[in-house]
Amino acid sequence: MFAKIEKNQALTLGLIAALFLVYAYTTSLPRITDFIIFCIFVMGFDLLYGHMGQLSFGHMLYLGAGAYGCGMFAYHVSPNPFVCILMGILTAAGLAALLGQVVVKTGGAAFALLNLALNEVGAYLVLSPMHRITGGEDGLSLFFQSYGFINFGDSVFRFYFCLAVLLLVAFLLLRLVRSPFGNLLKAIKEDEVRARFLGYNTYLYKYVTFIISGAVCGLAGALTSVNLAYCNTSLIAPTRNVEVIFSALIGGAGSVMGAVVGGTAYMTISNYLAAYIVRWEMFLGIALLFFAFYFRKGIWGYARRA
Amino acid sequence: MMAEPILSTKGITKRFDGLVAVDGITYEVGDCETSGIIGPNGAGKSTFFNLLTGYHRPSEGQVFFQGREITKVRSYQRVMIGIARTFQLVSVFDTMSVMENMMLARVRQGLEYRSKGRFFFGKLRTRRLEEECFQALETLGIADKAETRTADMSYGEKRELEIAIALSLSPKVLLLDEPFAGLSLVDIGHISEVIKKLRGRFTIVIIEHKISKLMDLVESLCVINEGALVCNGNPQEVICDPTVRECYWGKEDMVCY
Repeated sequence: MFAKIEKNQALTLGLIAALFLVYAYTTSLPRITDFIIFCIFVMGFDLLYGHMGQLSFGHMLYLGAGAYGCGMFAYHVSPNPFVCILMGILTAAGLAALLGQVVVKTGGAAFALLNLALNEVGAYLVLSPMHRITGGEDGLSLFFQSYGFINFGDSVFRFYFCLAVLLLVAFLLLRLVRSPFGNLLKAIKEDEVRARFLGYNTYLYKYVTFIISGAVCGLAGALTSVNLAYCNTSLIAPTRNVEVIFSALIGGAGSVMGAVVGGTAYMTISNYLAAYIVRWEMFLGIALLFFAFYFRKGIWGYARRA
Repeated sequence: MMAEPILSTKGITKRFDGLVAVDGITYEVGDCETSGIIGPNGAGKSTFFNLLTGYHRPSEGQVFFQGREITKVRSYQRVMIGIARTFQLVSVFDTMSVMENMMLARVRQGLEYRSKGRFFFGKLRTRRLEEECFQALETLGIADKAETRTADMSYGEKRELEIAIALSLSPKVLLLDEPFAGLSLVDIGHISEVIKKLRGRFTIVIIEHKISKLMDLVESLCVINEGALVCNGNPQEVICDPTVRECYWGKEDMVCY
């Protein structure tokens, strides 16, 4: 049943929208808005990890670039929310385009660790040398202009806006992974040399994927700073990379739907379990072991085959 | 009489640290000719192929294609100008279906996907593309497997698929690296038939270390031993050449074909 849903694009998007609506109205709207934004982040990360097969330990850098690109523009230049979000995406994509030239040439462990190192550098730059414009440890409190019903101060509007963005991103990514390009990504994941001998400049396509992934993560970052109306260093903290990797794993890497399921599952655990169990991370660790040993394909990976 | 060479090398050498894998080979193959390369294990045949296809950069020497020097042309660009290859260990994409494998190759050649929009956001499967791929699979006789997952195919079928993929790259030169290695007799017969069918349409170069399988397939034969080209010419003559026989079979006598 799930496999059929996944094949039909409209059905997939409809299902995502319906589930988030039900979830939001049975719990709390602002909380589910966080979930949705996190799912966008996981989708951006998973394009690189699940679809192209490159694990990055430093994607918080692009989330942070998006958040600070958006936040700093709002704080210093103009509070127009749409321009701010666009600036966030451009900052992250630009950073990915710059760093990607070095990072994409590596692979495997070097790729993961180089990203982590760059993330550390980025977090440090934001915290200390650039504190005059980034607000350093205090971060920036933001204000966004409202235009009639487009009011980012209203949590209901934020929820629907983020949900619409999630659906748009999911739509575009579904198109992307089912195109000839998506087919090529699968091929690169399996055997890059072979793909090159079919006439593809694999380096170029990996670079493009890295930029797209960075841009999607940047979008998630920009939405975070719009949603929270502030940005601070926790949005670029390298230690939080675990969250996104874990989400991709439990959801099922290599599937757009899996990213949404994983993001939601992770956020549910971390939000609700934390209310009852103080050291909830321990249970997360045990769950991760369980997934790594018995459920490699993640929740969605198994649901799809059932 | 040899036709105008389509692919040639001039004094090509590849060193890996101290080891000289390919030692100053000057080789040429004519347009639409079918040529074989033989040599014992570790002779440098595959390294020579890797130099032709751009997988390795030569330490010295040059590669020419249709009269143009391509020594510095990258591997994926060489594919686009018409040099296709298969690998010694069959390499198709196991996680994809047969059709997806074919499409991956065909899309790069198909004109309709040259536009970026179609490539990134268009559908993978179009009717025209499917038909083209289907035809290529029919040439190899595996059209009925189109929707099978590649991982579920036998080794022989994978080899056939790999050749079908190489064919859909519209090659001018097809380089087959040990196409018979690890195959059953039935599969070997099948692939020989396919090669016979393709002969004359474009240049084919086949690496093999069992000479007998090549004798009725190729028009010219060259022998590589310890990285150097020992002999090149008509298969009958090559096989009777004393130096060839010495390096290939040792000093034992062997009856000429």
